Amino acid sequence: MRVVILCPSVYSETACAMAVRLAQAGYIPAGALTLPTADRGTLLRKLGQWGVREVVRYARAKMISRGGKAQSRLRNPYLAPLLSRKGKAFRNLREVAAADGFPIVTCSDQNSRRSIAQLRAWSPDLVVFAGGSILRKPLLAVPRMGAINVHLALLPEIRGMNSPEWSLLKDIPSGVTIHYMDAGIDTGPILRRCEFADGLHCQSLEDLRNRLIAFGIEKAAEVVAALDQGSVSATPQPEIDSEIGKDNQFFVMHEWLQARAAEKLMQRSFAAAAGKSDG
Amino acid sequence: MSSTGSGRAYSPMTKYAAASGADATSPVDVSAAAGAHGHSGVKAGRIARILAESAGLLRGPQRLFPLIHSLAHDKIRITFEQRHLYSYTKTKRPTAEALESVVRWILDAQRPDGGIAAYYSLLTGLSESYPEVTGYIIPTLYDFARASGEQCALSAAQHATRWLLSLQMESGAFPGGLQGSDSQPSVFNTGQILQGLVRACAESGSADIRNSAIAAGNWLADTQQSDGSWSGAGAYQESAHTYYSMVAWSLAELAECAADERFGLAAERNLEWVLSYFRPSGWVDGINLRGHPDYLHFIAYALQGVLECAILRRRKDAFEAVEKPAWVLLRKFETGKHLAGAYEQDFKGGRKFSCVTGNAQMSCVWLRLFEVTHDLRYLNAALKMNETLKQLLPSRGRKGIVGGVSGSYPVWGAYQPLRYISWGNKFVADALMMEQRLKREFEGASCAS
Repeated sequence: MRVVILCPSVYSETACAMAVRLAQAGYIPAGALTLPTADRGTLLRKLGQWGVREVVRYARAKMISRGGKAQSRLRNPYLAPLLSRKGKAFRNLREVAAADGFPIVTCSDQNSRRSIAQLRAWSPDLVVFAGGSILRKPLLAVPRMGAINVHLALLPEIRGMNSPEWSLLKDIPSGVTIHYMDAGIDTGPILRRCEFADGLHCQSLEDLRNRLIAFGIEKAAEVVAALDQGSVSATPQPEIDSEIGKDNQFFVMHEWLQARAAEKLMQRSFAAAAGKSDG
Repeated sequence: MSSTGSGRAYSPMTKYAAASGADATSPVDVSAAAGAHGHSGVKAGRIARILAESAGLLRGPQRLFPLIHSLAHDKIRITFEQRHLYSYTKTKRPTAEALESVVRWILDAQRPDGGIAAYYSLLTGLSESYPEVTGYIIPTLYDFARASGEQCALSAAQHATRWLLSLQMESGAFPGGLQGSDSQPSVFNTGQILQGLVRACAESGSADIRNSAIAAGNWLADTQQSDGSWSGAGAYQESAHTYYSMVAWSLAELAECAADERFGLAAERNLEWVLSYFRPSGWVDGINLRGHPDYLHFIAYALQGVLECAILRRRKDAFEAVEKPAWVLLRKFETGKHLAGAYEQDFKGGRKFSCVTGNAQMSCVWLRLFEVTHDLRYLNAALKMNETLKQLLPSRGRKGIVGGVSGSYPVWGAYQPLRYISWGNKFVADALMMEQRLKREFEGASCAS
């Protein structure tokens, strides 16, 4: 099966780990389509999301080669086992591409004609989405089987942004969903829903999110193999006109609610720890 | 991602010249337009107002620097502003401090007669007292006094109530327009003032205030049309408007306060009429202000009135009807980080500027919806909307500007250009106080569980 990865940057740890894990499972990508790392939009989005200090730290860790200490500088430490293969630790997608011999093409817009033409040239059976822009129908129509995404919550309950945090506040178990992508936000048919039992042992929201990402990559690799073997089928999600119908889409969370979600996570962890010690 | 724009389409002074005529939808302009009965009268009123306001700058040249400062400030801001997914997710200004400054503006805008000024104009300064806003600012002042323990807010509410009682007509109605500008009874203004009287009555237990509220309620019930609307002489442009659901809300409150079901039934009659204008898209027809766009302020009025009425009268159908437009606007805000200052039918073709008052009202609507449904997405949207509101409050400047809520953002936008409006401060204060209260309750409930 020919797989292509779509990612937000060659420095994306998630995309890098996904490529390594897929290659490990026998699906070396036919190519990777990535967005430019230092464009204005991405920079502004990350500044808003992480703040100046974290952006500078990330840029130093990812873009300035220091050699040797790559793993200690990972934003997501749970990806460390996924980023290693045969004793080699990969730090960005270029290193994985060089080792496995697949091309990386950078485009300013994943939905542009140029990107679609490039994708057609690779003739993929499946696109694995590891981040980037919202994908439009013309691009989604290119891969023979479709495009899949790892969503960090259980669908159809929680769609959209900050899904691990919203799951906590809504008392929905943490988990990931591997689903086909369509023109909506996380509305495509579901391939696999996986609850994440280790969510009870997380120390912070960032810890939970990092663990879910690693968990999701493992499950995505399993789903890719299952799709190749034809042993998985997709379940459509309930349809709703989200423009006027109140549905299950959630939006970026205000920091005050994030703090409440973090408190809930702590309560859950304490309760789990207390239950364990009682037992 | 939408935004208020790059500034290319906005040249402050030309926009003002074009727009100041188009903003006569504020109740302040009733006097200019009410007697006109048509476009020619509205146009004449606009021209008269543009001239009067421009002349104001000649009479008060000291206002030139604050005017230039406000224009330049907003011009720079909209030019460089970049909205993205994480805009407004962080608190940059504490809510308590912003609330204090917003209420301080209201207290400073109270005239010696006890009425609250309608606005502070960058051209003409502080306006005369405005009975309508004075009325419905009273609950805000009582809420603030209760939350903060500030005696001056309590005194201001009592002073305002006394002034309003002196204005009541024999029929029970209250006059439209600014103090001294109009002696005609006005349905909308009477309804809005009634809200203040009901609250003042509940706070003080005064029989005089109660009698005054009942007289106003009687007049409203008597002038109501058989279909539940208000049109004719006491209505703006003599037409029926769906945003008069605010009047229905006041009547529903009076029904509880006076224990008189007649007022409740009148409120429900209007509710039925307004609900017949709700379209499947969520759009509310019948704002019906001839010659003016449907500003968010009036759309939000219609929603607030129906929502509060629905809660008071336990009308599930009306509550569900409001949820739809509230959700459409929530989605627009969440995906675009901005609500347009005015919309066309079915929420299409939004104008570039922001109607700050309308934004604050939508925050109030979302917070109330959260309070009832416990859907945290409403709270989330309101918290982010309140961040935008706090960021738009001038933290420096002269009296009338500091802590003021401009009609539009940028300040020369089409709704109440170059003015800081008292009803804007009222709704921002309401939104911030409701945020504080609901946060406390949420934390309390979390601790309890």
